[in-house]
Amino acid sequence: MKPLTGLACAATFAVQPFAAAAQSTEIVWGDTLPSGLDPHVVFDVPMQFYMLNVYDNLYRYLGNPPEIEPWIAESHEVSDDSMVWTFTLRDDVTFHDGSSLTAEDVVFSFERLLELGTGPAGAFLPVLDADGIEQIDELTVEFTLKEPYAPFLAAVPLVAILNKDLVEANDDDGDLGRTWLSSNAAGSGAYTMDPDTYVPQERVDMYINSDHFYGWDDNPNPVEIVRAHPVAETSTRVLALTNGDIDATDSYLPTDQVERVQNAEGTYVSEDESMRVMIIRMNNQKAPFDNVDFRKCVSHAFDYEGFIDGVLGGYPIRNSGPNPGNLWGSPDDLEGYNYDLEQAMEYCDAARAAGAPVDEPIEIHVQSSLEQTVQAAEVLQAGLGAIGVNLELVASTWPQLTSSTGSVDSTPDMWVHWVSTYFVDPENWIGQMYDSSFHGTWKASSWYQNDEVDELLRAARREPSQDIRSGYYEDASRLVVEDAADIWIYNTVQLRGLSDRIEGYRFSPVGSGGEIRWISIAE
Amino acid sequence: MILFVIRRLLLIIPVLLGLLLLTFVMLRLVPGDPAAAIAGDAATPEQIAQIRAELNLDEPFVVQFADYAWNAAQGDFGVSAYSGRPVGRDIAQRLPATLELTFVALIIAAVGGVTLGALAGAWRNSPFDHITRILTVIGLATASFWLAIMLQLVFALDWGILPLRGRLPSDVPMPPGVTGVVLIDSLLAGRFDIFHSALTYITLPAITIAFGGLATLARFTRSSVVDAMNSEYAAYETAAGYPRRRVLFPYALKNALVTPVTQIGLLFGAFVSNAVAVEAVFDWPGLGSYLVNAIYTNDYPAVLAVTLAIGLVYALINILVDVVHGLIDPRIAERL
Repeated sequence: MKPLTGLACAATFAVQPFAAAAQSTEIVWGDTLPSGLDPHVVFDVPMQFYMLNVYDNLYRYLGNPPEIEPWIAESHEVSDDSMVWTFTLRDDVTFHDGSSLTAEDVVFSFERLLELGTGPAGAFLPVLDADGIEQIDELTVEFTLKEPYAPFLAAVPLVAILNKDLVEANDDDGDLGRTWLSSNAAGSGAYTMDPDTYVPQERVDMYINSDHFYGWDDNPNPVEIVRAHPVAETSTRVLALTNGDIDATDSYLPTDQVERVQNAEGTYVSEDESMRVMIIRMNNQKAPFDNVDFRKCVSHAFDYEGFIDGVLGGYPIRNSGPNPGNLWGSPDDLEGYNYDLEQAMEYCDAARAAGAPVDEPIEIHVQSSLEQTVQAAEVLQAGLGAIGVNLELVASTWPQLTSSTGSVDSTPDMWVHWVSTYFVDPENWIGQMYDSSFHGTWKASSWYQNDEVDELLRAARREPSQDIRSGYYEDASRLVVEDAADIWIYNTVQLRGLSDRIEGYRFSPVGSGGEIRWISIAE
Repeated sequence: MILFVIRRLLLIIPVLLGLLLLTFVMLRLVPGDPAAAIAGDAATPEQIAQIRAELNLDEPFVVQFADYAWNAAQGDFGVSAYSGRPVGRDIAQRLPATLELTFVALIIAAVGGVTLGALAGAWRNSPFDHITRILTVIGLATASFWLAIMLQLVFALDWGILPLRGRLPSDVPMPPGVTGVVLIDSLLAGRFDIFHSALTYITLPAITIAFGGLATLARFTRSSVVDAMNSEYAAYETAAGYPRRRVLFPYALKNALVTPVTQIGLLFGAFVSNAVAVEAVFDWPGLGSYLVNAIYTNDYPAVLAVTLAIGLVYALINILVDVVHGLIDPRIAERL
């Protein structure tokens, strides 16, 4: 180190401490930024952070477990057949440029989303088209669906309401403002975005919007400036937090770093149960996975306890079925599969006797950028290896995997991923994963086919009563688990490292606690 | 010499076309659909098909390539599938950061490597030579990723004398952008406070990148200087009573520099690829993280444009190296 010390010191004109740069009214948020800033184009967890702060939506999820609450809509009504949804807006919402937010902006936003067909549009395209969106008066919007769709309200918070006039003024050759919005904002949210500070994936500064309709009386010392500066490397992220360089890490702190952050002076870890289920998919229409006994064999060969407690430090919560255990529609009595190699062997023998090619090597595709998918595959490989089944790991990426799920043949034998909270309704999990009408999408990539399950899930989609829907989803969950359609491993507990300056951190599975308006800076 | 430079500049065009074609083919060989990556997690197959059509991905390969090359020749590199912004704009924002880091690293490697190598070569088998040899072996064997973390731990965390990450403090705005290179722009704006800050921020990542190259240069320079010191003219000068440092500088060193200068040109390529990992550790907002994201998401326009940008700079550096050769050795200049 000595020669380096000389070089470094020579380059440093004055020795001075480099830490705790943030001033009293600002924080440095070290979580990931979305790839672009158009909330109708990008649809992932980082976008939820940006959207919840810079934009408003008709309804919003708050708390954990998340409750859907009126936000810029005062209320809504729904027809008996769940076909017509009418929203009444508040009259005191203004955009960042001072203009009023009206029903015209809501209609424009939903129409733009449908026309672009990107981002969260997938949740609406099957049930809504532009003709079904109507402005009744300045503060009332009516949506007429193509078919009854009970999860409609649950999906409404996905849509950011844009300033129509501003977006139209920046339309470039009919692109609906897409290029402009990828690095600018047209929102009404609790924070404004400074386009001059924006470097994609690297940084963006946001300033408090004192005129936000919700007001700030509930927050004694709100954050006035949010400097969103993602830290790419895990080790740097943890060092930056303990060094006072940033005030928050991402919410997927590796479990081996939790103790370090907890023990460091001035930092703590927020542990929050989320709704994000880790799954190993099995291609149910490809041999040998088309044999239910073989799927049960594989399900019993995964060491759930060893993976959750040993590899992941015991933080995640075992989840035996497709819906997160903390969501309605998930049966309390669902037993699921346990790690039992003897039982696995019996099922594999039964599959072999039925002619399934059990002794052929099978492949599991992992996402090479996500270490945990590799670890899970290795745990399964060890279990299957012990009973003579040869599992081979194949490194892959998310775009490669999602584009391979269009047909049975191109879908891998097995692959590992999570299903996050896109909207808080069992439709987001079991509904889109095991209804055969979704075949061809990555969510339904196990190519599961069960007419009874199809009927239950479709009935749940039409039924307005949550109690009745819950029963349908519970029944469907039992059937899917009985068929061992996939291997459901755990529900995520999100771990975010925070500095002691952060008070009032409110986690919600939607946005992963990134809604800054609830945070107070410690005096 | 001027004719040589013009000829070499014109030769860049076919080189870049070849590079473009190679990258274009390789991207198509990678499995995966960029349209699926753009459409996002909740996309339906119809949405993905619509995006494929918008991106011309349904066209034959030759048509796609010709379209891209024609547009690129006019400065239009397309829109990044990942960021949704014009790729040219993304690169203009990031390339200066990578070049700044790489050039500062090159300066550290060149000054440090040539100095150490020259002294070790002139005083061959002295204790200094042995120590330099050990240091260069360490330099060649050290993984930059590990070195980066060690430097962070020592200089940023334990001693607190250099920043951990980033290019400037969170609350310091970038100086008015003339070149995009903070060290230059801050001086042009007369903002010496920002210049000082930027210099402290670039120190650790630049040393990390430079370390291995410094070792390589020291080894090359040493062996060149040893050869030069053993030549007849050096023996004559020594016999004439010149002290060893006078023989080394300027006579032997000037003759010995041709090989290290070639090496410096080659190091640029190595430094840029090294920057991909180092930029991630130090959160340096350069092309490295952009390129990694582009590759992971099959962002064709971004990968192509970054490859072209790096290829162009690499070609220019190598022309510069040839010119420097000519300046060092007039015999080479005559042949150019």
